Amino acid sequence: MTWHTPATVAEALVLRAERPDAPVVAGGTFLGILVRQGLVEADEWISLQRVTELAKLDAAGDLSVGAMVRHRQLELDERVVSFWPGVSAAFRAVASPRVRNVATVGGVLADADYASDPPSMLVASRAMAEVANVRGSRRIPIDELIVGHYSTSLDEDELITRVVVPRPNGPATYRKLRTRSQEDRPSTSVAAVVDGSTVRVVVGAVSDKPYHFADVCSTWRPGVEENAREIGEEYASRIDYIDDNRGSAAYRRKVVAVEVRRALMAVVS
Amino acid sequence: MSRTRPVAPVNERRGPQPGDPGFSSATTGINPRITAGIRYSLDTTVPGAWHLRVIRSQIPCGRVTGFDTSLLDDDVAFITPDDLDGLAGFGCQIADQVVLTREPKFVGDPIALVVAPTQRDARIAASLVEVSYEEGVPVYGELEALAAASPLVHARHFTSDSDSAYFDMRPQDGTNVCHRFRIRTPSLQGRDEPPVVASLDDDDEALADLFEGAEVVIDEVFYTPAAAHVPMEPHATTAQWVGDRLEVVTGTQTPFNMRQDLATIFGLATDDVRVIVPPMGGAFGAKTFIRTEALTAAAARVVRRPVRCVLDRDEVFNEVTRHPSTVRVKIGAKRDGTFVAKRLWCYVNTGAYADCGPGVAQKMGYAGVGPYRFENVAVDSYCIYTNLPPGGAFRGYGAMQSVWASERVVDMLADALGLDAVELRRQNLLRDGDVFCTGEVMHDTHFEELLDDAAAAVDWSSGTRAGKGVTIMLKGMQTPSKAEARIQLMPDGRYEVQSATADIGQGASEMLTRLAAESLKCELDQIVVISPDTDRVPYDTRTTSSRSTHMMSRALEEAARDLRSHGSIGHGFVSNDGGLDPDTGQGLASSHWHQGSASAQLEVDPDTGIIQLTTLYASSYAGKVVNPHGAQLQQEGSMILGLGTALFEELQFTGGQLTNPNLSDYNIASALDVAAISHRVMEIPGAEVHGLGETAVPPVPPAIGNAVASLGYDVRRLPMTPERILDSAVVVGQEGTTR
Repeated sequence: MTWHTPATVAEALVLRAERPDAPVVAGGTFLGILVRQGLVEADEWISLQRVTELAKLDAAGDLSVGAMVRHRQLELDERVVSFWPGVSAAFRAVASPRVRNVATVGGVLADADYASDPPSMLVASRAMAEVANVRGSRRIPIDELIVGHYSTSLDEDELITRVVVPRPNGPATYRKLRTRSQEDRPSTSVAAVVDGSTVRVVVGAVSDKPYHFADVCSTWRPGVEENAREIGEEYASRIDYIDDNRGSAAYRRKVVAVEVRRALMAVVS
Repeated sequence: MSRTRPVAPVNERRGPQPGDPGFSSATTGINPRITAGIRYSLDTTVPGAWHLRVIRSQIPCGRVTGFDTSLLDDDVAFITPDDLDGLAGFGCQIADQVVLTREPKFVGDPIALVVAPTQRDARIAASLVEVSYEEGVPVYGELEALAAASPLVHARHFTSDSDSAYFDMRPQDGTNVCHRFRIRTPSLQGRDEPPVVASLDDDDEALADLFEGAEVVIDEVFYTPAAAHVPMEPHATTAQWVGDRLEVVTGTQTPFNMRQDLATIFGLATDDVRVIVPPMGGAFGAKTFIRTEALTAAAARVVRRPVRCVLDRDEVFNEVTRHPSTVRVKIGAKRDGTFVAKRLWCYVNTGAYADCGPGVAQKMGYAGVGPYRFENVAVDSYCIYTNLPPGGAFRGYGAMQSVWASERVVDMLADALGLDAVELRRQNLLRDGDVFCTGEVMHDTHFEELLDDAAAAVDWSSGTRAGKGVTIMLKGMQTPSKAEARIQLMPDGRYEVQSATADIGQGASEMLTRLAAESLKCELDQIVVISPDTDRVPYDTRTTSSRSTHMMSRALEEAARDLRSHGSIGHGFVSNDGGLDPDTGQGLASSHWHQGSASAQLEVDPDTGIIQLTTLYASSYAGKVVNPHGAQLQQEGSMILGLGTALFEELQFTGGQLTNPNLSDYNIASALDVAAISHRVMEIPGAEVHGLGETAVPPVPPAIGNAVASLGYDVRRLPMTPERILDSAVVVGQEGTTR
C-alpha cells in the first residue's frame, strides 16, 4: 500500500491526474468506515494532510473555506458564527466533537453522502465549490456538484480546493431531525436562508441529493403560518424519499412538511 | 486561532479523589483506563504468533459443498472441518455446536479458518477463498419457527454435560423448541396441556379456570428486537499449545466454564487447560462461554504455534446478540385492583445455537411475573431455534424483555380499572413473607420504598400524570452457584487476592481490593489482585448475573478470616443452592433478589414523534455498598443501556444477513442523550452486599413506554422510534386503536 502525501495543491493535482483510481483522503471519517467495511480497496492513496494551503479559512469578504478546513473550525470560528450562523449551525450538527475535529469541508462534499448535514445549508446559502485539475479550475454551485447518491459532477482528475459562501443578506435557520441518538446522522436536514425578499429552503438527507424548489419558495410570505404549512406540504409532496435506519419514506414525507414549516417560521422569528 | 484555558498551579493539580467523578482506581488517583495502564486481551501478544481470520457462511442455512483455495499462498494455513475431526461438540447449556461446521445455520457461522503470519496476510487470504453452497430453507422469526410447516434448524435435539447446564432441558421433539420452561402454581399442575402453544391468540383452554376470579383481564403482546452488546474491546483470544497442554489468554466472563468446555472439545483433562483472563474493555454478556477460543485453539494446534484472533467490529455485532423476543401477557384483577392471576408466554429467539438461551428463557419467564402477589400463575417460556446469529447472555438477561411487556400491561390494567398505576402496584407488591410464583418465600424485600422513590422523582402525586411512567421489577441472580477466594501473604508483606471474578469494566479488581483491605484491616496498597488464571485462582461459577460482588465478597471475607487464623494463606468458599423445576417452575429461583424501580417524565412532539425526556430515574436496592462511586457508575451504565434499548437500538436483518453491524448504522446512546438521567443506589445499613450490575436495565424501557402511553401512544415494539410512536397514536373518540 502506497501513501502519496503532496505538500501543495499543484502536487496533489498532478498525482490526481496520474492516479485517478487512488482515493483522496481528507479527514478520513467516512472513507475509513468504507474501508473497514470492505467497500473501498486500493493500493495507492493520496493524503491531503500536508497540503497546508487547503486548510485556510478567510472571512474578509465571502467566506472562503479551504477543502481541508475541519467541521469544528466552522462550528467555532467567531466570524463564521457571527456572519454565517446557518453554516456554523449545520457543521455543528454533525456527529460528535471527535468526528468534527477531523471531518473536512471538502470531504463531506466529495463523498456526496445523502445522510449529511452541511449540503442542504451550503445549497441554501448559494455556496460554490471551487474545483481544480492540472488544466485549470472552475466553480460549481453545490447543487450542481452533488448529483446523486455518492456521486458528484467532478471529473476524475478534479479535486475540490475550497468552498466559497457569499456573505448572507438575511437570517438563516438549520433544522436537523434526529430519530435516534444525538450523534446520529440526520433523518431530515432542512436549511432555510432568507435571500433578499425571498427564501431558499433546501431539504437534505431524505433522498439522493439536497432539494430546493425555487418556484415553491417564491410563494413565501414571511411569518404566515398557513403559508409555511403550504410550502412544507408542497416540498413534502415533490421529493422521492428513501427508507433507511433513520426513518421510512412515509415517515420522512410526513416530517419534511413539519420541518420545512418550522424552519420557515423560525427563520423570521 | 488559539484558545487558552486556565491551568491550575502545579501544587493544586491532583488526580480525581475518592468520590470525584473519574475516580475509579483504589490504588492511584489516575484512572488507568485513560492512561493505557491496563493491558487488555487485545493487548496480549506472543512473539511468533500467527493470525486467524474466520471464513464465515454467507448463507443462513444449508451445506458447504466446496472451497476454492487456488489463490492462496503456500505459507497460509487453510483449515476446514475435515482438519478438525475428532473434536467434540459443545454448547454451554445444550451441546449443539461444533468448532467448524459443514452445515452453517446463520450468516456468519464459522465454516473454515485462515491462519497467516500477519494480520494483513490473513485478511487478504480470507478474501481469496471461494465457497460454494447448497442452500436450505431458513426461518427467522420466533413464531414462524413454531409453525407446523417450519423447517427444523437442528435435525435433532441435544443436551450438555457442562456445569453451565444447571437445570434439566426440556426440548420439544419435532419442533424448534430446544427448551421449554414452565411455571404452574400448585392448583394448575398435572393437567393435560399441549406441549407448545404456537399461536399468540391461543385460547389456553387447559387453563381456562385461571382467570375465573378476575373481573378485568388484559391480554397484550409486546416485542423486543435483537440488540448488540457493543463492548469497546472486541473479542480477542491468543491460544498456544505447551506440550499437550492448552493455554488460552482471552477476554471471558466465564474462565472456569471456558476451561471445562475447551477440555471437553479437545478431549483433555480440565487441568490440562489453562485460561488466563486479562481485564476486559467491556463485555455486557458478550464474552461468556465459548466464543473465539475453540477456533483459535484448534488453529494453534494445526499450525503448531501460538495463534491470535481478534474480531472485527462487524464480527462482534454478529458473534452473539440479545434474544429477539415476543412476550404475551395476560393479567386479571378484581375491580378493587387485587391481582388474581397472571399468564405469560415468552417466545425467545435464540438463533442458530442455544448458547445460554434456555437460562435466558427461564429468567424471562419468572421476571415477567413481577414483584406481585397472585393467586395463580402460569408461564410458558420457549427457547426457539432460528437462522439468526445466536442470542446469548446480555445485561438484563431476559428480564428486560419480559419486564418491558409486563410493566406496560400493569399500566393498561390500571387504566381499565380506573385506578392509579402506582397505587395499583403498591396494593399488590410482594412483601417479606409473601410467596412468589415459584413457591419461595420472599425476604429482604424493598419494593415499596423503591416504588415510592421512583414515583417521587417524577412528582407523581401532584400535578398531571400525563407524560409520566413508573415501573418496578425483580430480577434473579444465578442460583445455584459457587464462589471461592484465596488470599496469600506475599514475602514482601502484601496480600495477593486470588479470585476468578473477571474485570469486565465493572471494577471487580477495585471491589476485591477494597473488600480485602477492609477484611484484613490494612491499607489498599497492601492488596494485590491478580487477574483470573485457572492455574492460580480457585473456582468461581462465572462473572455474570450481578452475582460477583454479592458472592465473592463473602468468599473473600471468609478467606480473610481463614488467613487471620492460619497465618499465610486463607481460603473462602460460599455457595447458593436452589433452582427451578423446568415443568412447574417450583423451587428457589434466586437466593437474593435484584430489586429496582424506574420512572420517566417526557414530552412527545405530536408532529414528529420525537421524545423529549425531562427525567429518567432509577432506584435500585444495593444492600451494603462496597464502592459508592463504582456503584453509581454501574447504575448509570445500566440506565444508559436501558435508554438505548428503549429508544435507539435494533439489529436489522435482511435474508438473515445483519445489515447494520457498525456504529454508524446501529446507534447507542451518546453523552448528549443522557442528560435527563438521575438515580439512587439504595443502601440499607447492616444489610448484606447485593449485586447491582444490571438492576437498572429492565425497568427503564417500560418506564419510558408508560410515560409515552400516557400521552396516547401505545407502542408495542422496541425501540420506540419516533416513527413507531406516530404510528401507534391512539385515535381518541374511536373504538379500538390504530396501529
